[in-house]
Amino acid sequence: MAALAGADGARAQQPAGKGAIIVATIGEPGPLDPTVVTSDLVSIISQHIFETLYAFDGGWVERPLLAAAMPKVEAGGTEYTIPLRTGVRFHDGAMMVAGDVVASLQRWLALSPRGKQVAPYVASLAAAGEHAVKMSLHKPYAPLLAMLSMSNGAAAIMPAAVAKAAKGPLDSYIGTGPYRFLEHKPDQYIRLQRFTDYVSPPGPASGYAGARHAYIEEVRFVPVPNPTTRVDGMLAGQYHFADSLPAEMLPRLKSKASVVPVIVKPFGFPLFIFNTKMGAMTDVLLRQAAQAALSEADMLKAAFGDASFYEVEGSIYAKGTPFYDEASVTAYNLADPKRAAALLAQAKYAKQPIRIMTSQQYDFLYKMSLVAQQNMQDAGFNVDLQVLDWATLLQHRADPKAWDGLFTYHTFVPEPSLITIMDPSYPCWWNTPEKDAALAAFNSEPDPAKRIGDWRKLQGLFYSQAPAIKVGEFYNLAARAAAVKDYTVTPWPFFWNVRLG
Amino acid sequence: MIRYLLRRVGGLLAVMLMVAVIVFVIVRVVPGDPAAVMLGTAATPADIARLRTELGLDRPLAVQFLIYLKQIASLDLGRSLFLNEPVAWALWQRAELTGLLTLLAAGLSVAIGVPVGVVSAVRRGSWLDQAATAVSMFAASVPSFWVGLTLIEIFAVHNPWFPVSGWGGPGAGLAEHLRHLVLPACALGLPNSALIIRFTRTSMLDVLQEDYVRTARAKGVRPAGVVMRHAFRNAMIPVLTVVGLTVATLIGGAIVTETVFGLPGVGNLIVSAVLRRDYPVIQGTLLVISGLYVLINLLVDLLYALADPRVRF
Repeated sequence: MAALAGADGARAQQPAGKGAIIVATIGEPGPLDPTVVTSDLVSIISQHIFETLYAFDGGWVERPLLAAAMPKVEAGGTEYTIPLRTGVRFHDGAMMVAGDVVASLQRWLALSPRGKQVAPYVASLAAAGEHAVKMSLHKPYAPLLAMLSMSNGAAAIMPAAVAKAAKGPLDSYIGTGPYRFLEHKPDQYIRLQRFTDYVSPPGPASGYAGARHAYIEEVRFVPVPNPTTRVDGMLAGQYHFADSLPAEMLPRLKSKASVVPVIVKPFGFPLFIFNTKMGAMTDVLLRQAAQAALSEADMLKAAFGDASFYEVEGSIYAKGTPFYDEASVTAYNLADPKRAAALLAQAKYAKQPIRIMTSQQYDFLYKMSLVAQQNMQDAGFNVDLQVLDWATLLQHRADPKAWDGLFTYHTFVPEPSLITIMDPSYPCWWNTPEKDAALAAFNSEPDPAKRIGDWRKLQGLFYSQAPAIKVGEFYNLAARAAAVKDYTVTPWPFFWNVRLG
Repeated sequence: MIRYLLRRVGGLLAVMLMVAVIVFVIVRVVPGDPAAVMLGTAATPADIARLRTELGLDRPLAVQFLIYLKQIASLDLGRSLFLNEPVAWALWQRAELTGLLTLLAAGLSVAIGVPVGVVSAVRRGSWLDQAATAVSMFAASVPSFWVGLTLIEIFAVHNPWFPVSGWGGPGAGLAEHLRHLVLPACALGLPNSALIIRFTRTSMLDVLQEDYVRTARAKGVRPAGVVMRHAFRNAMIPVLTVVGLTVATLIGGAIVTETVFGLPGVGNLIVSAVLRRDYPVIQGTLLVISGLYVLINLLVDLLYALADPRVRF
């Protein structure tokens, strides 16, 4: 699979496409705009059509994709010059030039939730000749490359005319990816066709980076909202790949030789978030009491059952990722009701109800919230568990008067500053001087090794100030047909470099 | 007849207006913010507020209602917040599937329900009647999603005779579409046939006790002639009502069946719209379904005249 061809040589090596791969997804994705929409489903589909300047490799390190090389960083980390690959074509046949990249990045800065996080740092953005762009920042911003590499809320590159015209979600999908958009019939299918003029980036394939070859003629995404039906479709041979399957279906999937279960690690982590802006849980002693009371091991077992689908892990980043750190995990899985009771007494807790929101729409969140309720009540908390539908929970979440704690989950993100609770406006409102200083230092440190040290400090604060509780790691179950060869296991599945045997 | 029709159509319009008001209110009374759902878990309150403004959800309810009424008056059902296309178009694209599914399921219910009900009544107390009663009681008590999943297991996974889900790939013709509808139509139609069996049986038993049936028998009319010519036609009036109601119920039942079988129909559209709080789609779809419900009732009433010449409007 490793193709070490240069950019110009790679085109000749594109194999003839064969067959169609049918991918059962969790539902209808809506408009396939990778910049504006941040849903995982849109990212999974649109990453075949659109590409970014950089992409994460197998070790979650940024590598060039549409960029020709890593950026030249000058002026104390405030000037980035990004060289662009030559000979890259859009699906409409036009060549990609710096003007397209500038217009696309401007659209990203204006419309993408991720781009909007970057925008306050950007002083100017301009073409530097036909095949380079220059971005000047007000102050150093270390997560920039990670932001440019994400396929979610992506800095997707498209023709300048399309980028300038689309003030809202895109209605034409013209990218540079190995597959081009062919047809979208809502609730029926989305068809992507192999792009015959695709030029693969150089280097061996690794994660989302390196060589990309479209071996299959068509990738067809089919919405199948019922998870049991997705499993049955795999067993019947109707699909080649199915995403997000119920964990309890693993034995059924294993029972058929033509189906290979896929356990996606890392995938995500459930979060028990506290309201640090208003109400009882603004008292750090109460948050620490909850931290002491909980048995994360029991919560995970209740939620997922089979130990193949979770890990009792307090480090926000799992083992094998660059930001993994165990030393700063100071209060995890304590299951110590006495210590919790002592903290409650110290806080002079007067048994006021602690309103915790959860939802049965995500069964694992509901199950773990029941265990948490019991743990906290054993320690002396008066818990008012509110079971809501997900849309209602999201609405109530925005009102700091409405809740004290809530259960949600976070999908894996390679860059820590993308974790939602790092944003002080995210409903958790973690906004202390110590955290702000530590986050500012982390965000302005260009040296990757030093950033890991800064991250340890942030994770230490996460445990001492307890704005939220990381319950553990959980994994996703997917399945592929045995005929699908060379599939790379990732949180956002892709089908370039995949063959049908 | 024409005056009757005009009166019924006027009533239909009044019902539709009431439905429009009720749906508008219910959709907004239920908590849940479409903007928050669309933007996902990572959205900040500022992002959500911005999208609410873009979608016009921050306007006063009275203003939103007036805009909505104006749209309905001009036969415009609005634009889907999520799909970014007109609701009428989204419905039209899915109507063929749901229409076909409902027709097939209704056809199956009638094809099973009426003959079995008639035979049960004629052979009252026989093993055939008892078996039909037991099977129909069982069919009426199992939910259609369970029937659907069981049919998938038997006829798609273990014996791959029918597809598990979907509506056929690109370029699929009517035959391919129908193949995809066999299991869903069975899942939807079988539980409903139970109701028709029960009603047909009861109605036939009532009619078979009537004097004119006894007279026909006394005159020496053959048993088949008595049942088919004299009893069956008269027994069909209450059965027609049930069939009409069943068709309307099937439209509702299609919601569950389409989700289980991954069918891109109106039912699937409405389930997704509720989860996403896509207000225009929920409003538009419910309005159209209510309209169909009332229309079907009207058609059933008109059919009485065909089944029974004594009925006059």
